[in-house]
Amino acid sequence: MANLGRGVTDLKLTPSDIPLAGDDLARFETSFEHTKEVWGELLEENGNRLQKGNLSLHWMNTEGSAWNKSRVKPSSRGLTLMDINRPDVYGTVPKIAPHRKFASRGSIRDQYLNRMPDVSDYTIMDRDEVWADNVETLYEEAVARQWKATTDVPWDEYEDIVKLPEDIRLASAQVATFLTEVEFVAADMPAKWLYHIPQDFLEVKMFMVTQMMDEARHQEVFRKRAIIGGGLLHASPGFEWALKVILEAPNHTMGSFMLNLLAEGMVLTIFRSGEMIAPTQLDKEIFRLTLQDEARHVSYGVMQVKNYLDKHPDRAAATEELHRFADIAEQVMLTTLTEPTVIEPLAVLLGGGIKYAETKGLDGVAKLWDMLISEYLQRCDRVGLDRHARCTLPRTAPWAA
Amino acid sequence: MGSVATKTSAKGAAEESTPFPSLSWFERLSALMKDNLEHYKKLGYCDCVADFCVTDGGPKGSPWIARVTFDAFEVLNVEDVGSGKTPTPDFMLEGSLETWRAMIESISDGDGRPALDQTINYLSHFHAPMNVTSDDPLRRDLFYRYNQSLQSFISGSSAFDTVFS
Ligand SMILES: [Fe+2]
Ligand SMILES: [Fe+2]
Repeated sequence: MANLGRGVTDLKLTPSDIPLAGDDLARFETSFEHTKEVWGELLEENGNRLQKGNLSLHWMNTEGSAWNKSRVKPSSRGLTLMDINRPDVYGTVPKIAPHRKFASRGSIRDQYLNRMPDVSDYTIMDRDEVWADNVETLYEEAVARQWKATTDVPWDEYEDIVKLPEDIRLASAQVATFLTEVEFVAADMPAKWLYHIPQDFLEVKMFMVTQMMDEARHQEVFRKRAIIGGGLLHASPGFEWALKVILEAPNHTMGSFMLNLLAEGMVLTIFRSGEMIAPTQLDKEIFRLTLQDEARHVSYGVMQVKNYLDKHPDRAAATEELHRFADIAEQVMLTTLTEPTVIEPLAVLLGGGIKYAETKGLDGVAKLWDMLISEYLQRCDRVGLDRHARCTLPRTAPWAA
Repeated sequence: MGSVATKTSAKGAAEESTPFPSLSWFERLSALMKDNLEHYKKLGYCDCVADFCVTDGGPKGSPWIARVTFDAFEVLNVEDVGSGKTPTPDFMLEGSLETWRAMIESISDGDGRPALDQTINYLSHFHAPMNVTSDDPLRRDLFYRYNQSLQSFISGSSAFDTVFS
């Protein structure tokens, strides 16, 4: 919406900038015309009754409602998802989603199913493709631990960044720049799958939305940090291949493995390092706030991939598929790990300046490398995927070998 | 843990000084957490069992460990677990008395804001001089998931004088 002051006549768009709906609109019209029999009937019934001034009041019939038998109470924290999920009727997440409608799990809905549309894009019908045993608590925690990039960071101390020696200022701005490039894939990826998850798995959908909100805030805070202290610097082509793997993973679990377990695990290590090498208190605050969110995403990823393997009817085949995916994911991740826009500013910050970047700095990055690989392998172990023999990532940094 | 050797600052009256390491030091932090409920509510839930270990803080230089059970916005329990007990905590943050002391003094000097190289993440990131250990990577990650709350908890020590044994 920039430059609104120029006047509408200046905002000319060529036809290719925003295409018309064209054939898609024609298909939409045909589709809703075909189903008019059902929704038109609903409209007619409701319209006729309202014309007569009558109320239906069928919704006051509590037959089939669980409320009288399944009262819930708030706990010390308020009313959590765990509290309302205590009664089976509300809390039992079906193994297979019973339909592709919007109606809420636990509501009186069966008698209406034949008058509701099917959402054909709900394709993840088996809970165990997306479920994690900690997803409800992670959702509650995510909501409780939201923060505001605009006011929870001491931006009034930004002069501390401006006054930094040039090499340190540029390095910290470059770290912030590469983070702006990678953060939002962790919103795009859940967004891609969220749309395919039916409403009965609402807890997963809700958690994914918190992750998307977290990543929006990370994008925001690193963009603000770069622009206020050194500017947005250079893009990282090597990183973008890993982002493409995340988005194009063949199924949700593989995408989750790559995003939440491998990439977010790595970003968590980078954030912890960021807190450690932060040249100002302002930067420390940013990294402490973001690393908490990242650890939550890693936690979902670990438990989700574990659940997928544990519940898969052919565990051996599912495990082998995940290994094949990891064979590529790790190599693409190696491309990112060697990007100069990442390694070098970290070396400058760890070394305490450009002068020591190739000595103390690269030694520090080598330690990070060891940490990153060993934590990745630990997380793989935790999900039941033994990558020790098969991992294609070098255990030590190339310059430290 | 009793002998008074040094005061970190001259903020409080002598009788308000609290020895470190001691259960009373962690209990004092817990009380401060309760007093600052709104601050901790803003940070969000903190649900974990953390062992804070002074590797040479026990008798004859043996480890001394306080187990702190965090629940939502408060501490449910602080206990002395000697040199460790089962069940294991979610994670343990360990460091020598000298390391703990430098950190606590830095927090005091900064009025609750430690120097850049004296935060719990800084000190433990490369496994030295502090270290975070756990028998489960998921439970270890709770140290990161609640890092701001845990830092705030420790940084609460700026509100009183600490004396070191
Ligand atoms: Fe993020
Ligand atoms: Fe994330």
